Amino acid sequence: MNKLIIRRIVATATAAAFAAGVAIGGGATPSTAATETPVTGGTLQYFTHSEQFPALDPANMYTGRDIAFFGAYIHRTLVQYRPVAGAAGSSLVPDLATNTGVPSNKAKTWTYTLRKGITWEDGSAITCADIKYGWSRAFATDVFTEGPAYALAWLDIPEGAYAGPYKKTGQDLFDKAIVCSGDTITFKLKRSVPDFNYFLTYPTTGPIKASADTGDKYDLKPLSSGPYKIQKYSINDELVMVRNDKWNKSSDPIRTPYPDKITVTFGLNEDVRDQIVLDDSKPNAISLDALQPANNIKFFSDPANADRRMNNYDPYTSYLAANVSKGHLDCLLVRKAIFFAFDTQALINLSGGVVYYGEPGDSPVKPVLGMDYAPTTGNIHDPNYKIDGNPEYAKTLLAQAKKSCPTAYNRATNKSQGVIYYRADTAGNKKAAVLVEAALAKAGIVVNTVYKPAGTYNANLTAYKKQTDILSGGWGADWANASTVIPELWGEGCCNYTQNKTTNEYKGFIRNVNKALVELDREKQAKMWHSLAQFGMDQYWYIRTVFGKSQQTWGSKIGGIYYWEPQGSFGFGQIYVKK
Amino acid sequence: MIKYVSQRLLYTVMLLLLVSLSVYFIFDLLPVDPARLVCSKQCTPALVEANRHRLGLDVPVLQQWWNFIYGLFAGRNYAEGAAALHCPAPAFGYSFSRHECVTTILAKAFPVTLSLAVLAFILWMTLGVSLGVLAARKKGSIFDKASTVFVLIGTSLPTFLTGVLVVIFIILKFNLVDPLEIGNWSNPFTDPLGWLSTFIWPAATLAFAYAATYTRFTRSNVIETMTEDFIRTARAKGLSEKIILRKHTLRAALAPLATMAGLDFAGLLGGAIITEKVFGLDGLGGISINAVTSSYDLPIIVGTTIVASAFVVVANLIVDITYAFIDPRVRHA
Repeated sequence: MNKLIIRRIVATATAAAFAAGVAIGGGATPSTAATETPVTGGTLQYFTHSEQFPALDPANMYTGRDIAFFGAYIHRTLVQYRPVAGAAGSSLVPDLATNTGVPSNKAKTWTYTLRKGITWEDGSAITCADIKYGWSRAFATDVFTEGPAYALAWLDIPEGAYAGPYKKTGQDLFDKAIVCSGDTITFKLKRSVPDFNYFLTYPTTGPIKASADTGDKYDLKPLSSGPYKIQKYSINDELVMVRNDKWNKSSDPIRTPYPDKITVTFGLNEDVRDQIVLDDSKPNAISLDALQPANNIKFFSDPANADRRMNNYDPYTSYLAANVSKGHLDCLLVRKAIFFAFDTQALINLSGGVVYYGEPGDSPVKPVLGMDYAPTTGNIHDPNYKIDGNPEYAKTLLAQAKKSCPTAYNRATNKSQGVIYYRADTAGNKKAAVLVEAALAKAGIVVNTVYKPAGTYNANLTAYKKQTDILSGGWGADWANASTVIPELWGEGCCNYTQNKTTNEYKGFIRNVNKALVELDREKQAKMWHSLAQFGMDQYWYIRTVFGKSQQTWGSKIGGIYYWEPQGSFGFGQIYVKK
Repeated sequence: MIKYVSQRLLYTVMLLLLVSLSVYFIFDLLPVDPARLVCSKQCTPALVEANRHRLGLDVPVLQQWWNFIYGLFAGRNYAEGAAALHCPAPAFGYSFSRHECVTTILAKAFPVTLSLAVLAFILWMTLGVSLGVLAARKKGSIFDKASTVFVLIGTSLPTFLTGVLVVIFIILKFNLVDPLEIGNWSNPFTDPLGWLSTFIWPAATLAFAYAATYTRFTRSNVIETMTEDFIRTARAKGLSEKIILRKHTLRAALAPLATMAGLDFAGLLGGAIITEKVFGLDGLGGISINAVTSSYDLPIIVGTTIVASAFVVVANLIVDITYAFIDPRVRHA
């Protein structure tokens, strides 16, 4: 069997696995999870090296793991993802609301009705006014700046006109954008947002009781609407949650709280943390962190640990964006040559290998996005693609480029100039740069790596994107819709580093993006994203993508574990402690 | 004497002001943008600027420093409208990552650091001085050679390695402490055993390194003192070796150690960064390293630096004043 055939089989198998949304190398969910009967009671312990959660306040909460964690225990929202493994986990179910939202006016208006019997931990009822107040806090950018900004972008309020509930400037505009009528809440948006209801899984869209709001300090003790409440939260020490006796199951179709008590220990030394996992010395505990690389390989190599681990695609795609504007990588053939010359295998090996770090990707949209992902053609599925680089094929592409776009060809092959590649100045990047330069040199491409201060690298990406030819970055979808990927990375969103707006292709591309954004037929919308992903990949706006992976571990007395795809984390709400 | 003490106090205050100013300038020069670091994935330039204003970094660095000094005496306000916060004087600032006034954070962290420092001090002084004296008394013996090996190991092993070895091969191996309870704070007055269980191992780790140094110093000082004329005179008078050691040798040999111990102890009060980090202690060292590595929390960095500097400077001041009392030449110098 020659190498080409092997590669095709691997590519096909990988694509099939992507399409099915399964994990590779470790298993998405342990085999025992489905067969055991959950146990009520006991203390469930989590531990982490971090000194605190990034946020407990819903207004500042953005990372998938924390949304999944606090969403399971203390922060309820109008809608929620279905708490099950696999692709079904990305579908929505009502939580505080009785429905997943009723769109009208071409999805410019969304209406929800609150469920009866929903209460705060102090026994008071959760009202429409609480939901509205929760939304208003996102506008207080002088207090909260770490949460998602969709509320500011979408609600029908002129930009900057409303300053949040603490200053109340523009309060009348906000009151028109969100209207309460009894148990019914209506959101009025600037434009059609067909996937608006997915955003409502974010705690920042959940209720906040105005009389309990302490501004910045609310983070230390948020009021619970879920089955647990916070008994103690001490940074770099521990978080203790106990049952919320004001929560009742009849008002909550999603959660079935099993443990009596949940604790999180912070600030654990990394060696101690890893040793606990390796020795299973705390069988009723779960690590919230990945192990250190050497310990990770050791743990995952031992078959005895098969029921205490999982390895899945994480929510992130890392990418190399090409600056396609004039005078940079404005020649498709040169971009393709760079793509095919890359030794992706060596770069992945440097970061932990295919099993633990990630696999070559074929789109900015990841398989965990369910229906919005479809394997593209070309790129890593091209017969000429080799994971360890194909300099010979790259040379043939360059030879064509020499005739059709000599300026770009000269730039890429000229030793005094070369392809400029901005990177953050870190030890890891310096090692990777050696591999990149060596691989591309085999094809005759000169890479001029320019190191920028690591601390300000991300802050300066907007400026760098105009100066460099290649820029590295990473992105994870905000919910199971490519509307939070393709427009952000290749369209008008925050993080388009390709400079593709200067190209002839962009006009048609963005028109289609805008159509997809407002498409109400979900199946049709998914197909539009497939075609847009294919278009961008065909243009080689990204000259390398990697679908990242993450590993999770836990103790032997933990049950109910599964990987919750929409949040890229444990499905915390179903975890229990075995007797 | 009053003039001398006043002068020294004035220098101390000026030194602390200079230290705080230096921290502000160093932080300003770092290639890090704290306003961007705590901005969301959908960060826009407007949000970064809002953050800069919230963190008080939207004014020149000198103004930032002046606001800090002003807050020490008059307290400071943060945020506006119904979300306004007030930190009363002495206000070291407000930590937006820990959601508390820095003075409160420091007040919580200090007992942790003090506990570690006191216990480590007792251990290293007891061990270091005893070993040093015995090694000097039995110079050239196997015991002396063994103490030399101890000194070599103690001074060459870095604390972060000793700490990790203690945790993995002693605490975890023999189940001496619940691994999830390592570093838990217990009040020494209400739960002395819990307190001891938390601090004995980090204190022992710290004491191991210090004891090695003190063994070496004590040994050499005692040996040197034992060759002095007044010791020979004491022997000639027929005093027993025990009395000579206790009344003459140790008194002379250990006096320089007292100064060194005082300064070392003061240094530890500023926070034993590595030991606190390894054992998960939320003392001044632990919070300062987390502020630097995780959140670039300038108010905490300034607060812990000032407190650590203050301990060292005040300890120096006490030593200087004590010397001035003992030796009149110092205050006229």
